[in-house]
Amino acid sequence: MKYLIFLIFALVIGAKAQGNTLVLLDNQVIKETHSLFFKSLQDRGYSLVFKIADDASLNLSKYGEYLYENLIIFAPSVVEFGGNLNVDTVTQFIDNGGNVLVAGSEVTGDVLRELASEVGFEVDEEGAFVIDHLNYDISDEGQHTKLVISSENLIDAPVIIGSKKGIAPLLYQGTGILVDSENPLVLPLITADSTAYSYQPDHPIKEYPHAIGRDTVLIAGLQARNNARVVFSGSISFFSDEYFTSSVQRALGGLKAEKSGNQDVATAISQWVFKEHGRLRVKSVQHHKAGEKTPPQDYTIMDDVVYKIGIEIYDNGKWTAFSANDVQLEFVRIDPFVRTTLKNNGNGIYEAKFKIPDVYGVYQFKVDYDRVGYTRLYSTTQVSVRPLQHTQYERFIDCAYPYYAGAFSMMLGVFVFSIVFLHMKDDDKKSKHE
Amino acid sequence: MAQITGVLSKFYTDYLTKTPKKLKAIDAYLVYVLLTGIIQFIYCILVGTFPFNSFLSGFTSTVSCFVLGVCLRLQVNPENKNQFYGISPERGFADFIFAHAILHLVVMNFIG
Repeated sequence: MKYLIFLIFALVIGAKAQGNTLVLLDNQVIKETHSLFFKSLQDRGYSLVFKIADDASLNLSKYGEYLYENLIIFAPSVVEFGGNLNVDTVTQFIDNGGNVLVAGSEVTGDVLRELASEVGFEVDEEGAFVIDHLNYDISDEGQHTKLVISSENLIDAPVIIGSKKGIAPLLYQGTGILVDSENPLVLPLITADSTAYSYQPDHPIKEYPHAIGRDTVLIAGLQARNNARVVFSGSISFFSDEYFTSSVQRALGGLKAEKSGNQDVATAISQWVFKEHGRLRVKSVQHHKAGEKTPPQDYTIMDDVVYKIGIEIYDNGKWTAFSANDVQLEFVRIDPFVRTTLKNNGNGIYEAKFKIPDVYGVYQFKVDYDRVGYTRLYSTTQVSVRPLQHTQYERFIDCAYPYYAGAFSMMLGVFVFSIVFLHMKDDDKKSKHE
Repeated sequence: MAQITGVLSKFYTDYLTKTPKKLKAIDAYLVYVLLTGIIQFIYCILVGTFPFNSFLSGFTSTVSCFVLGVCLRLQVNPENKNQFYGISPERGFADFIFAHAILHLVVMNFIG
């Protein structure tokens, strides 16, 4: 009996640790048409829970605890989620650190549009495709919506999509996404070519299209301030088995490959969005005066100080040393007084040596490392810097001797004056007597 | 102009004849203190404020000595007897010395 309980307990714990993922589908067919993508997730250890998007029993959390770490919404046409799920609960899920992968299409439903605008994207109108009359695939059916995307259009961030060079051209059919270029948290993962635009292919163009050229984002990512990640794709077929396995050939010649790069990119994106890549953390922070080992209670102005920070990155399921050469340290008292690049000592240890400025107060050692694709690394350590002690000041400065002389002459002056003054009194009395 | 010189010369002769010797001694002391202070100030302008605490203590020492001297002069002056009723010149002088002792302690502490 005891063993049984233990076994059940272990199973529950084990299932949790693997990264539970809820997959919402339009219909069960998507499970089959996108089986390669789901299989790659399962092979990496995710336990997928498939549900129809308007299932009445949907629930992200139970008793205030989230049941899932990740959410995949492959249900472009869903009008409203079932159960307890709605835009608010999904947004809350993101606010609490959950990762979300959403795929829309030309028929993206209202609930997904609303969700997209919550995370900083805007999905083009219903029925709109990204159209490109120059970069369409040879298998396109005449509307020039099945696009061939060069790997050049991927975001320039190896941590998200790996090396750009080895990636075959991508196939894409779906709607365009607009992102706010002012929003620093939003990343355009894949953009369309400069000859593309987003519009309904059956209609004559009467209005200016919402998205033109490179502003048309095909797959957009967001890394929120709490490091939760959201990816929004304008195409669900991008992740389909058909696109994963089909060959690519640009109809007007040029780009051509036996197998499209979709699988590589989709896998890389799913790895990124579920935080298998680009997760940083601070392992240790040390600071002390030069030549010492332990941190002092407080620093004195003009002290030479050594600061060391250990940074780790999550890679292949374990934390390993992170290597970069652009980590900076700031020594801040409201404003940064010192800003210096940390020296990479190897093993993920970064070191900086500097002289504390000639200003006392309460300071912070601050490392704020925010790079595309990586989680934000932020570490502050507060220390106080005091002025020189009374015994630490410089004495007998040459150019101060006149002041010393002045002060002593004042003393001497009082002494001499006192003698004169007291004796003079006697004289006065005598003169009065006389 | 003639009036001014007249006033000045009368002032001078009056000072020589009517001012008690004690007050003259105090005046001489004040002039000495004033000159020392001016010299320190000019030196600071020429050399710069580097040991600023030294300059401050040197200079404030002269200024304070001057102020204390003036106070003593007021208390000792027979013409001000009504205002300092009950405070004898001896008492005034004792206060003067006491204040000086404290002043020079502070100055020495701060001069560095």
